[in-house]
Amino acid sequence: MIDIPTIPWCALAPELAVATWILLLLVATLCVPAHRQSVLSHLAVLGIVVAAGLLVWASQHPSASGGTAMLSLDRFGGYFKGLLLLATAVVIVMTRLPRQLLTHVGAFYLLLYTALLGALILVSVNNLLLLFLGLELLTFSLYIMAAYVKTDPRSVEAGMKYLILGSVSSGFLIYGIALLYGMAGTITFTGVRAAFANTQPTPVAGQVGLYLILAGLGFKVAAVPFQLWVPDVYEGAPTPVVAMLSVGSKMAGVVAMLRLLDGLVAPVQWVWTPVLAVISAATMLYGNLGAIPQTNIKRLLGYSSIGHAGYLLMGIATATPESAAAISYYLLAYLCSNLAVFLVVVIVGGATGSDSLDEYRGLSRRSPGLAAAMFIALLSLAGVPPLAGFVGKLLVLLSAVKGQRLWLVAIGAVNVAISLYYYLTVVKRMYLEAPNTSSSIRITPLAAATLAALVLGIVVVGVYQQPFLAYIRSTL
Amino acid sequence: MVSAVLGVPLLVLILLAPMAGALMIALLPEHRPALIRRVAVTAASLSLAGAVYAILTYNTAAGGYQHEVCVPWIHSLGIGFHLGVDGISVVLVLLHALCAFTGVLISYAIPQRVKEYFIFYLTLITGVFGVFLSLDLFFFYFFYEMAVIPMYPLIGVWGSDVKERGVVKFSKEYATMKLTIYLTLGAVVALVGLLWLYVSAGATTFDLVALQQQFAGSPLDPGLQRAIFPLLAIGFGVIAPMWPLHSWSPIGHAAAPSAVSMLHAGVLMKLGSYAIIRLAVGLLPAGAQTWLPWLAVVCVMNIVYGGLVAMAQRDLKLIIGYSSSSHMGYVLLGIACLSPLALNGAVLLMFAHGIMTALAFALVGHLYDQTHTRYLPDLGGLAHQAPFIAGCGVIAAMASSGLPGLANFVAELLVFLGGWVVYPVQMILGVLGVVITAIYMLRLVRGTFFGPSKPVFARVTDATTAFAKLPYLVLIGALLAVGCWPGPLTRIIASATEPFIQQATQQPVRAATLTSTTQPESHSP
Repeated sequence: MIDIPTIPWCALAPELAVATWILLLLVATLCVPAHRQSVLSHLAVLGIVVAAGLLVWASQHPSASGGTAMLSLDRFGGYFKGLLLLATAVVIVMTRLPRQLLTHVGAFYLLLYTALLGALILVSVNNLLLLFLGLELLTFSLYIMAAYVKTDPRSVEAGMKYLILGSVSSGFLIYGIALLYGMAGTITFTGVRAAFANTQPTPVAGQVGLYLILAGLGFKVAAVPFQLWVPDVYEGAPTPVVAMLSVGSKMAGVVAMLRLLDGLVAPVQWVWTPVLAVISAATMLYGNLGAIPQTNIKRLLGYSSIGHAGYLLMGIATATPESAAAISYYLLAYLCSNLAVFLVVVIVGGATGSDSLDEYRGLSRRSPGLAAAMFIALLSLAGVPPLAGFVGKLLVLLSAVKGQRLWLVAIGAVNVAISLYYYLTVVKRMYLEAPNTSSSIRITPLAAATLAALVLGIVVVGVYQQPFLAYIRSTL
Repeated sequence: MVSAVLGVPLLVLILLAPMAGALMIALLPEHRPALIRRVAVTAASLSLAGAVYAILTYNTAAGGYQHEVCVPWIHSLGIGFHLGVDGISVVLVLLHALCAFTGVLISYAIPQRVKEYFIFYLTLITGVFGVFLSLDLFFFYFFYEMAVIPMYPLIGVWGSDVKERGVVKFSKEYATMKLTIYLTLGAVVALVGLLWLYVSAGATTFDLVALQQQFAGSPLDPGLQRAIFPLLAIGFGVIAPMWPLHSWSPIGHAAAPSAVSMLHAGVLMKLGSYAIIRLAVGLLPAGAQTWLPWLAVVCVMNIVYGGLVAMAQRDLKLIIGYSSSSHMGYVLLGIACLSPLALNGAVLLMFAHGIMTALAFALVGHLYDQTHTRYLPDLGGLAHQAPFIAGCGVIAAMASSGLPGLANFVAELLVFLGGWVVYPVQMILGVLGVVITAIYMLRLVRGTFFGPSKPVFARVTDATTAFAKLPYLVLIGALLAVGCWPGPLTRIIASATEPFIQQATQQPVRAATLTSTTQPESHSP
């Protein structure tokens, strides 16, 4: 006997808008002639605006969530939905910049929207089946987007690698879900949680299932030892896709992990927190040490994103409400900084036709504004005050100190210095070295405005923390 | 007492004037270097005026933190934007304001990329002011890291390679990366210590004053203090620069443009010793009791080892660089004694050494601009072409060697007097350092300024205009004033150090030798 619950349409409005826009974009892609492609991007931006408006509206109509509902439509999820919409909007701006390799942008926006829908589901997931569906929706879209430039063998290779490794990890995930279902007899988070709480000792099937699910999610957030795909995919995939991958996909994965570990397996914390702590340390070290010898900016950022995953896992492993707030702040800072960096990469890549680090030589002479934005964004990623990344790192480290895990804090702190080293190698090329050519890089007003907004965000989030932190704490 | 200028609290003015200058310069067009320089000088003079006003109005009878500004910043973590100066920091603020002001004047010689240079330089100045003014651990660290990062482009872009006989010994890229990574590693080690301290104290406040009051009532567990103390002492000791973590420092000095070396050796190093006084010793007295004797041993290594290495150098900036790390050993030794007299000496030495080093680096910068070499065997006879610079150089060398009449003498004497009863062996070895200093400083002066005039340097010019002489005269004036009339400054310093030492030694764990042996009878010799 299946219970058909009343559906909270109001609270679901943003997701419904995104779903509607997927259909709209599909129709529009077929109708709009090839020389009027800009209509499509306007439509795509409009969709984000509508969804954001509905998100604000929906947050004023809270629905009864939690319990057996498939999605918890709470303010915590709402916060991340806002960030995801913001990230998607910036990615759309990236596709609008001159000399992008992307053709047929309509289909691209369609895939971007399906990825967004998957991410939106993931950040409010409260059910194992929906966890799988959201994750697959997100990653399937990203597989295709990574291979989007059919004429570029690197892009196809990136898509292929991502697909093969991603499918294996999905296998882990679904097998883990099956084991948990076998143990608890239900796929709701609450049900599985109760089963974990009531069965002592924890059955082996439950533990194995838990680890398999963690492995599947670890692949999405690029945690060691599931990180091997990252540098190749980052290097080969079109840069706007990489931006979505590194910000949207990672954020969705981290929040899903938070929800899962907080809601599902909190009773057996002793099982997974030490494992996650070790994984966190390994991920930070692997990402930051691996980034040092890179000569391609996208590969470098790939390794850097692994390093950041390590910090996020440190917060997850601490598993307190305070660490959840720290992760939320960290993700906000990471979003602003990483999107700003990728925007610069798109602009420079578009102008020079290459993502080699040598293209950044003398950038401060060629385009001072671009170099300054990159400088600030990279320092923020490294965690230097007065920028956003510093506060994110500080909060995560602080929560880990409170969690009595000083060895992990020490590793995290040392990684700040390691990461600063390779970020500074980019700064060194931009400021210390002479340019290859003296021609300046032209920036469209749209790109300049977006970049300025992101840099302003980095500074404001880094200096005036109180309102952001207070809001985040109120969503917990 | 909150004093304000046009509605802006005094300390906020000192702190934010350089930042405002940097923001304004960011908006100015690059092809107006004269205007950019003028904005920078105005910003630095505002801070200097504020610092002078702060020290003149400092009430020694009342003591404690004055001119306080406190704005709650992050409520949930107990972080507040809390500024204030006591007798120690008010002197260091004046030191920094003097070095920053003269540094901006010296920076007029920067020929290229003026706009970027001054943005970074003023950001650096803001960061250092922030550290001295902050009474909140969060903002202390915040400004500390903010002061470190601008050094990277400043040295990397405007610096120069360290050459010996035309062969590059250290490239400026190497020097600046080494400096940045060393300092950041030190900073994050200290950060772990600070966070641990904050959590152990109940995780309610980052406010330094509140923490001090809390610890006065219920001190931290001594074992915990002993564990946290080395994190803070080593973390901040890197910038001090504490032996054997000093190797970034002389190379960094040598590669930096002169105005940056001035701030770096003059003030940045003092951030380390200041942090050790304020945070490590001030908040963890029991830890200090255990670890300070070890610090005293390290200091002697600083003094003697740094001095001997300085003797072996042939590059003017490397000599002064190693000399700085040697002289910072006296400062750390003064701190390690944990007696009011020696601590007074340490703080006064921070001031005196800062001014002296800034003067020395400014002079070397002038000579390097003119002769394009800093290699001692290539130089000589420059007193013929540049008598004013040579005169200043002799004064700087005399100050460095601790001749009476100049500020360094008073400060070093106080350290030796105060420390004699605590660490006699270290003091004897320390006095040896004075002799070593005299050897390399006299050799430097002789090799650079005296001897027959060399024809290659025929076109070397002196600092002729009053404007060019101004920075040197300001710094020499400060050295002479404090050297001949140290009373006012030592009274201000003593108003903070006496209660500080009292608090630091009135802990359950106490070393018997350290109490009541040194009564503060005479602070002004």
